[in-house]
Amino acid sequence: MKKLFLIVSVLFAVIMSSCKKDEVQQQPVINLEKIYEGSVEGTGLKVELYSKQISQYAQYSTFWIAVKDAAGNPIQNATINVVPFMDMGSMQHSAPVENPSASAVDNLYKFSAVFIMTGNWALNINITANSQTGAVSIPLNIQAPAKPKVKSFTSSADGSKYFYAYIEPTSPVVGINDMEIAVFKTGPMMMTFPPDSSMTIGLEPEMPSMGHGSPNNVSPVHIGNGHYKGKVNFTMTGLWKLNLDFMSGGTLAGEDQYFEIEF
Amino acid sequence: MNKTIIFAIIILMANFAHAQNEDSVFKDSSKIVDLTEVTVYNSKKVNKATDYFKSNQSATLEDIMSRLPELSLIKRGPYGMEPSIRNLSDGRINVLIDGMKIHGACTDKMDPVTIYIEPSNLKSLEVESGGTGSFSGSSIGGTINMKKDEPLLYSGKTFSGIVQSGFQTAAKSFYEGVQLNYSTKKFGIKGTTTYRNSSNYRSGGGKIIPFSQFEKINYSLSLKYKLNERLYYLADYIGDKGYNIGYPALPMDVGFASANIGSMSLSYSDNSKKLYTWNLKVYANSVVHKMDDTKRPNVPMHMDMPGESNTKGFYAEASYRINRHQKIDVRIDASSVFLKADMTMYQPGELPMYMLTWPDNRTNQAGIAAKWNVHVSDKSSFMISGRLDGINSGLVTTESKSQMSIFGYEKKRNDFLKSVSAKAYQKAGKNISIISSLSYSERFPTATELYGFYLFNASENYDYIGNPFLNPEKSIQAELTGNYRFGRSNIKLTGYYIHVLDYITGMVNPALSVMTIGAAGVKRFEQIKFADIIGAEGSLFLNVNKNVDVVSTLKYAYGKDSENNPLVAIAPLKSIVSVRRTFNNFYVQAESEMSAAQNRVNKMAAELPTNGFAIFHLRGEYNFAFFKLNSKAQFGVENILDKNYTEHLDWGKIPRQGRNFYIQLKVAF
Ligand SMILES: [Cu+2]
Ligand SMILES: [Cu+2]
Repeated sequence: MKKLFLIVSVLFAVIMSSCKKDEVQQQPVINLEKIYEGSVEGTGLKVELYSKQISQYAQYSTFWIAVKDAAGNPIQNATINVVPFMDMGSMQHSAPVENPSASAVDNLYKFSAVFIMTGNWALNINITANSQTGAVSIPLNIQAPAKPKVKSFTSSADGSKYFYAYIEPTSPVVGINDMEIAVFKTGPMMMTFPPDSSMTIGLEPEMPSMGHGSPNNVSPVHIGNGHYKGKVNFTMTGLWKLNLDFMSGGTLAGEDQYFEIEF
Repeated sequence: MNKTIIFAIIILMANFAHAQNEDSVFKDSSKIVDLTEVTVYNSKKVNKATDYFKSNQSATLEDIMSRLPELSLIKRGPYGMEPSIRNLSDGRINVLIDGMKIHGACTDKMDPVTIYIEPSNLKSLEVESGGTGSFSGSSIGGTINMKKDEPLLYSGKTFSGIVQSGFQTAAKSFYEGVQLNYSTKKFGIKGTTTYRNSSNYRSGGGKIIPFSQFEKINYSLSLKYKLNERLYYLADYIGDKGYNIGYPALPMDVGFASANIGSMSLSYSDNSKKLYTWNLKVYANSVVHKMDDTKRPNVPMHMDMPGESNTKGFYAEASYRINRHQKIDVRIDASSVFLKADMTMYQPGELPMYMLTWPDNRTNQAGIAAKWNVHVSDKSSFMISGRLDGINSGLVTTESKSQMSIFGYEKKRNDFLKSVSAKAYQKAGKNISIISSLSYSERFPTATELYGFYLFNASENYDYIGNPFLNPEKSIQAELTGNYRFGRSNIKLTGYYIHVLDYITGMVNPALSVMTIGAAGVKRFEQIKFADIIGAEGSLFLNVNKNVDVVSTLKYAYGKDSENNPLVAIAPLKSIVSVRRTFNNFYVQAESEMSAAQNRVNKMAAELPTNGFAIFHLRGEYNFAFFKLNSKAQFGVENILDKNYTEHLDWGKIPRQGRNFYIQLKVAF
């Protein structure tokens, strides 16, 4: 009889101890791919360009540049200016860009460009470092992403063309997601794209195949540099349409704008 | 015909019930329907109450429950009806098998626990209503406990068994059952299998109801070992598998459902000791449920909705005799329930749409209960009982937490539940006894009410969202029963009042957009100030003469909430009258089932009124020897007039079975 008690109590302990299993999710590690390596003409400087992926798409794209001296030592305080450039024969134009700050983080200078169309682009990079100045032109073939990630509208408020680019969420989950987009106003000849801070953005996610939305979203508001941040909630996986309305000074600047994401 | 007259007659005839003695609170603290069939082969001693509740050999547990005045059944399909005690169901009541907790794996409540017990394996069905039914689990509506048959010991025969077979015409359904028992003086082992296969049934008037088919197999194995004269060890397993189960009132069917239920227990009894009985049980069970709509025509978007539940727990119960007039029962229990259900929808050309409908959640519970019984005199006794529960509940995976964060929920919650009740028995005169009770009880919200994520309610055509901030529901209840005995007959009448505070109900939330295509809107579980249910039940057992018995039950309930709206799903006035004439080894029984219309409906729940109906059945049973084996044939016709009718608690007003002929054969060896 004592044995039985023992068996029963051991069993009970086993049952109860197996009751608490919370699952832990691992944070993905970001690995950068080297997509270009070369020297800056007329200087002893070397340049390496990194991206999260080898293929490049018409979207808000972040790059990292490493600048090294002839001996291969990283330079921490180079001045870098990037100009994306596309030559379409009949016309030439640039794209919105966010240049790196003056000092490197982990030997890397981070910058972003928004490729507003597919095709052959060049990243024209001017570098001043160790009292030397030179330029490098890195060719990039820009492909179309699965769903458009850069769009534009002509504002009915001021007649200007605005580009807006999708930034977050990059890995959407069912739940609350940080949402970020960047808005740029088109300058003369499409050679400059100053960041825009004037918009009031309305956000309404929708699942087109089911006709439902999601609750408790936070419309993106300007946080600086043309970036707008909010929250988008997904109640399930699948194809979502993020409907956006752009208001400028009380008038609807761009309506029926949207991004689609599928996960 | 004039309905008023019919009901006047019924009330006159009404009614009530068990042939059992009800001399004390001790015996009456719960209603026990004894279904043991030990007397069944002795036609002179047929247990009439058993036969009344178990209308025929292949009766499902649902058939039996539908004949108990305290219970009503919510019907969504021909199978898997959900029991309610005095119109309280689901999380408001406990439905236990041998005191064990089992949680369904279906977000649409297609799989109430009662489907796992075949009546041929059932020893008894205990129904304890109201707050006095909280001894084995916090609840406000009470407890239904199904006690399973144990293997026989000392049967005189080492090997015995029962073979049964039956056929019913309305659904062209087959019923096959085998029970085998092997025993020695120290040891008994029993195995059972029951197979049911049913086609789409024919409703009154002749229309076939599509998606009302099902196939099901139930098997069990139990082992009893005598450790010594006072101590027994028992191991028990129940398996249940369902295939292609149709739910005509829902947009989906069940492709496959499975349950595995296991337990081990030790039980002790020695009447000479102060601690004269105790019982210890550890158990575990898991349920898998796979809903889909692959067989339905014109589905806008195909979807799969699987769910699972896993429960582990234990309980220990002991009874202690303080002195000749007082005893105390104590129970300690703990359980842990894990639930998960999800939904995947397929739109051609797009990635599958996936979400959790029951985001992975776990509820841990530990409780202690005590019952003090005092026998004041031969004429009066009372009982006081109480229960405390600690409950911890929360989401357990990153995925489920992320999904529910949309509604601002992250933290686990801890709750403390209290129940207390008092019951008194008083004999007033030679034949009259009165039982009164008063109780306060609390219950924890269900996983659906806390965490449900766009669960579609087909009856209301609304999507439902859980609310993790709900408080426990509280209930105050009073009950008064009068029992009048004359000769071998008796009449019992019960009146009750249930007051539920912080009543949980769905409220339309216009800010939320519907998930289910075609749904009218989204409701979130909220709490209203209170809801009231007032009702009465009666039963009559009338022994007209040696060969004629009348059993009749009657019930009525009236429900309203604090805003004066009728409560949803309140069964209307209903009565069952059964008259039996017994011959030597043969009986015939005529039955009527009558229900009044229900016009008090809840408009917010899109509830529609239901017409009254009267249906009639005729049954017979013949006991005979077949190669010297005890055998029994049962036959009958149900719904003789082929009436097209629905009960108020039937979802979607799907008509019930029309005229149905049945025949059952049973041979015991
Ligand atoms: Cu959807
Ligand atoms: Cu289901």
